[in-house]
Amino acid sequence: METKKRGDLLINGFGSSNGGSFNSVSINGKGTVTGDVECSDLDFNGSGSITGNVVVNHHAQFNGHGKIKGNMESQFLTVEGEAGVTGNLIVKKLKVSGKANVGGKIKGDEIEIKGRLTVGEDCEAEMFKAESQFTIGGLLNADLIDITIFADCNAKEIGGQTILIKQKNSLLGFFKPFARNQLKSECIEGDKVEIENTIAGIVRGNHVVIGANCEIEVVEYSGEFTMDKNSIVKDIRKI
Amino acid sequence: MSNKNKDGNFTSVTVLCYTLYMKGVFMMSEELISKKDLLDLAGISYGQLYRWKRKDLIPEDWFIRKSTFTGQETFFPKGKILERINKIQYMKENLSLDELADMFSPNIADLQLEKDELVKRNIVSNTVLDIYLEIEKGGPTFNFSRILEVYVLEKLLQSGEINLDEGKMLLQVLLENKSLIRQKNVELVFTRKLGVSSCLLLINTENFQFERSTKIVVQLSLMACMEEIKSKLL
Repeated sequence: METKKRGDLLINGFGSSNGGSFNSVSINGKGTVTGDVECSDLDFNGSGSITGNVVVNHHAQFNGHGKIKGNMESQFLTVEGEAGVTGNLIVKKLKVSGKANVGGKIKGDEIEIKGRLTVGEDCEAEMFKAESQFTIGGLLNADLIDITIFADCNAKEIGGQTILIKQKNSLLGFFKPFARNQLKSECIEGDKVEIENTIAGIVRGNHVVIGANCEIEVVEYSGEFTMDKNSIVKDIRKI
Repeated sequence: MSNKNKDGNFTSVTVLCYTLYMKGVFMMSEELISKKDLLDLAGISYGQLYRWKRKDLIPEDWFIRKSTFTGQETFFPKGKILERINKIQYMKENLSLDELADMFSPNIADLQLEKDELVKRNIVSNTVLDIYLEIEKGGPTFNFSRILEVYVLEKLLQSGEINLDEGKMLLQVLLENKSLIRQKNVELVFTRKLGVSSCLLLINTENFQFERSTKIVVQLSLMACMEEIKSKLL
């Protein structure tokens, strides 16, 4: 395509630039870009920031610290370090090893989090896999939700087909933590729900398995239901 | 707008009505169904519902959150959601979800079709097409708003609900309000009183009433027409 003819934007050391259309954008050191950016690849090493909306046609990679004040759209986004997007993030495949902070919503196909994720609004994907701590202000909606709790997790609502929430197996089992890490949600709805260490208002599903250390107000199920004796469920209803 | 005949009498009067869209009132007037009952009634699973929501097959503002004695519950406008689910279930057999999502979105941006193609796809008959082109005086390539106009004309003329003169009036209204029709919720109403017909476009209207002697000949949602056309295109 005509992206071949476009120039590259390269900032080494301190620098700043205006936005525009580029082939590849690479910031090494500390760089600031003001204005909307469209490029085929984006690479932040060190500390980079863009004020404006960003469209990346291929791959975006944040090593170190990257901040985007606006919306971001990309095919792939890999975060190793810290990333902040103040608007919405639309991405096919998102991989976070480190920390990501999104002010608006995330829409994607595959989301894989190892580390920490904060989302202001909804988080939608086909597959959401997290071994992490996260906070989601709206609905976490994915076909497959696979969460391993590493630290306190929060989501206003969780919905999808298969929802698996489990505690990280601790190698030092006898080192019982003083405060247990838990996942909190107002409402969990799915066809297959298997949860552990969860505090929830209501859990609805067809096949519901409540593992250890859960505190749930109401469980509504239509198919099978099993419950661990270490959990508290105030009300169980079969529909 | 008005059309005067040679004697100076009104043969037809066209009125455009604009009504403010009030969300609260709209919700009150509609019957709601809870998510649980919906899944039961439609025979779908949570996974499907959430998947359709992700693909924007079900609009965000149909999800109405209310607190009940069991905590938060999500409700839907019953008529709309059941109709939409029926459509999705009917069409998903030969379409992918992404194609479906395009169908339910109100705009098809860059669609261009030749007039022969429209006839072939059963959107319009040759006779009506000729009438349309004669009045509108446009070229043989149709974009989506022109397809919509010709489709509405075809639909009403073929059903015999309006005559040719009324068809011309209808087209005039549609053509003069092209930009409005692109908005979300436009309804077309055709009335007749003492043999005088008039044509209205209602934009985001919740409800309307006429005096008793006015007969509503046709009431047609242009949104629904767009969806019908899209289903013929695919």
